[in-house]
Amino acid sequence: MSALVAAVICLPLASAVAAAFTARARTLGAVAIAAGLGTLAVAIAIAIRVSDGHSFTAVSGFVYLDPLSGFFMLTIAIVVALASMGSAAYMRADEADHGLGPLQVRLYFVFFALFASMMLAAFATGSLGLLWVLIEASTLASCVLVGLEADALSLEAAWKYIIISSFGVTIALAGTVFLYYAASGMGGSPTDHLTWQFLHAHAHGLSGQSLRLAFLLVVVGYGTKVGLAPMHSWLPDAHAQAPSPASAMLSGALLNTGMYAIVRFRAITDLAIGGEYASHVLLVFGFLSVVVGTLFIVLRGNFKRMFAYSSVEHMGIITIALGFGGTLGLYGALLQTLTHAIGKTVLFLTSGDVLLRFRTRLTSDVHGLLGALPLSGAALILGSIAVAGSPPFGVFLSELTIIRAGFADAAPALAIALLVLLAVVFIALVGAVAQMTFGTGPPRVRDRPYPDRASRLAAATPLVAGLIGLLLLGVWIPAGLNSLIMHSIRVIS
Amino acid sequence: MESLAASSTAGILLDLASVVMLLCAFACLGSKLFDRYVAYYGAQSIVLSFAAAVMAVHDHDVGLWVLAALTFAIKGIAIPLATRRFLLERFHLKRDVSLSTGLSSSLILGAFLTAFAYLAIRPQTIPGDLVARAVVPLSTAIVLLGGLCMVVRRHTIAQLIGWLIVENGVFLGAIATVATFPFIVEAGVFLDLIAGVMIMVAFVSGLARQLAGASAQELRGLSE
Repeated sequence: MSALVAAVICLPLASAVAAAFTARARTLGAVAIAAGLGTLAVAIAIAIRVSDGHSFTAVSGFVYLDPLSGFFMLTIAIVVALASMGSAAYMRADEADHGLGPLQVRLYFVFFALFASMMLAAFATGSLGLLWVLIEASTLASCVLVGLEADALSLEAAWKYIIISSFGVTIALAGTVFLYYAASGMGGSPTDHLTWQFLHAHAHGLSGQSLRLAFLLVVVGYGTKVGLAPMHSWLPDAHAQAPSPASAMLSGALLNTGMYAIVRFRAITDLAIGGEYASHVLLVFGFLSVVVGTLFIVLRGNFKRMFAYSSVEHMGIITIALGFGGTLGLYGALLQTLTHAIGKTVLFLTSGDVLLRFRTRLTSDVHGLLGALPLSGAALILGSIAVAGSPPFGVFLSELTIIRAGFADAAPALAIALLVLLAVVFIALVGAVAQMTFGTGPPRVRDRPYPDRASRLAAATPLVAGLIGLLLLGVWIPAGLNSLIMHSIRVIS
Repeated sequence: MESLAASSTAGILLDLASVVMLLCAFACLGSKLFDRYVAYYGAQSIVLSFAAAVMAVHDHDVGLWVLAALTFAIKGIAIPLATRRFLLERFHLKRDVSLSTGLSSSLILGAFLTAFAYLAIRPQTIPGDLVARAVVPLSTAIVLLGGLCMVVRRHTIAQLIGWLIVENGVFLGAIATVATFPFIVEAGVFLDLIAGVMIMVAFVSGLARQLAGASAQELRGLSE
């Protein structure tokens, strides 16, 4: 198991090592794809080992894996694998257009690798302090990707991103300090007081007052990274300005890493002082995020921003599901994490194709995508239908579970309100995307946007694979995945 | 209401250090010159390392000595030096002109925030076995003042310093309440801080090249 953990953290770094030797996007892309697929294979192997409820501890709790971390690791590894294919194609196209210089291509692959590796490492630690360190490290790595194009707009977005989320995670550090403090009167070594295993096992002995403050600070702090309103303001800018495969990583992987931290803290708080408090906090932030996300999706404007606000909305839905709680709520939250991650990766990778072909981020300037880029057009419309929560795709199933959890939690009014907001999002999102895909647009040109056959293949594969995955999850949840989710729920309730 | 006054020598020294750190934050808030921001931050960090040393003597803890030394070297010396060399001197930045609130009104706001910190962290909610109990409201006030710095100042350097002050406030609270995290975590926090400052300095110099002023006030391209 130790070897697998080391492999899942180190494999993504292969492309960073390769970037020391070459700046050719084609070579680096190939290494990144191999590394991404390798990481996914190792993550699947880890997920299989923990899916029967086993956990694994080493180095006095600093290395720790349980079904919950296995589940999140699997989700993020899927996003990394899909986004590394997207990166290979996108960087090759940008290099061919002279959009990015050799140094920028190198930097992209180095920081893409670090970003992936830090996030995967965050799931492999049981120390909540080390979790903080790794989440902050992944923020730092990803903000270099946001500022990569180095023009005024992307530097502005990167600055906003780094300053707001660094401030946010500093607040989360204060929350972690309070949690550590809440445990200080208890037995065991000081190192234990920061590890999940100890805190979870001794939650009843934690001081309630410190814990309340700790949970609130952690939700505000990590919530900044998750993109919960009103701390979401960095998110649309960063998602819009980052190169599209990096946007996919931000939305599909980074936000979930922050959510993972909140899930862990929620479990400790629930055990120590009862579920009521955490549930109220999460429902307030969750609903606010869904409302803000919905309002800005209706605005349309820039399609990458629109997808970014859809991420705010989805993170809100997951937070609401955590607030509803119970087996149904937690099941919905975890399934939604997986389905949203895949769906949003497909959408952001497609938006990269659109950007390369049309050279605009404005929704109103894009028409006839289906004619100009048939595969991307089809992926965009199917992907947005899926993300908006229509059957037969996986997101429908997870959202349905969450709404059922709302009714089961005796909060039918909240469930109905959520349903109305989801309907508004569906109409706005699919309406905007339909406008982009149908109608007459520029003609289909064989070599655009990708310069060669290999990069066309690398661009198309993640779209097709992601959509097939979403479709499968909508009609059938494999027994292994089901058992992984059920055991994850057991860990946190 | 219970008293916040400390009785032991270590407690008095720790309280004193926190008050000086709060004054540094106020001084930063009341200044208009970039050079001063950096100097006050450096001074605040050196006082923070002194506070860590006091706790190290009190607890006989090697980890805290290392923390004090790291704080002194990195936050007290290296970061102010790097900010001066790579940003202020290189781009000839002298006077911060992009304030959203006047100096006196931001000082008054700061005073309100300090009072708020004392009201919000009531003495009876602070555990009695701390070395210096006044440190908790003081460090909260420093966090709030750092946040205020980031809000009323539009310049990217002022925002960077504001964030670093927030960070110092959290560290002060951590030293006073829990003494020390496991060392590996502390080392990680420092690594993140160094990497974060390096990346921010790179961004600020990129922005300074693009926008002449590097003020977040000029960052209007993305507002909706």
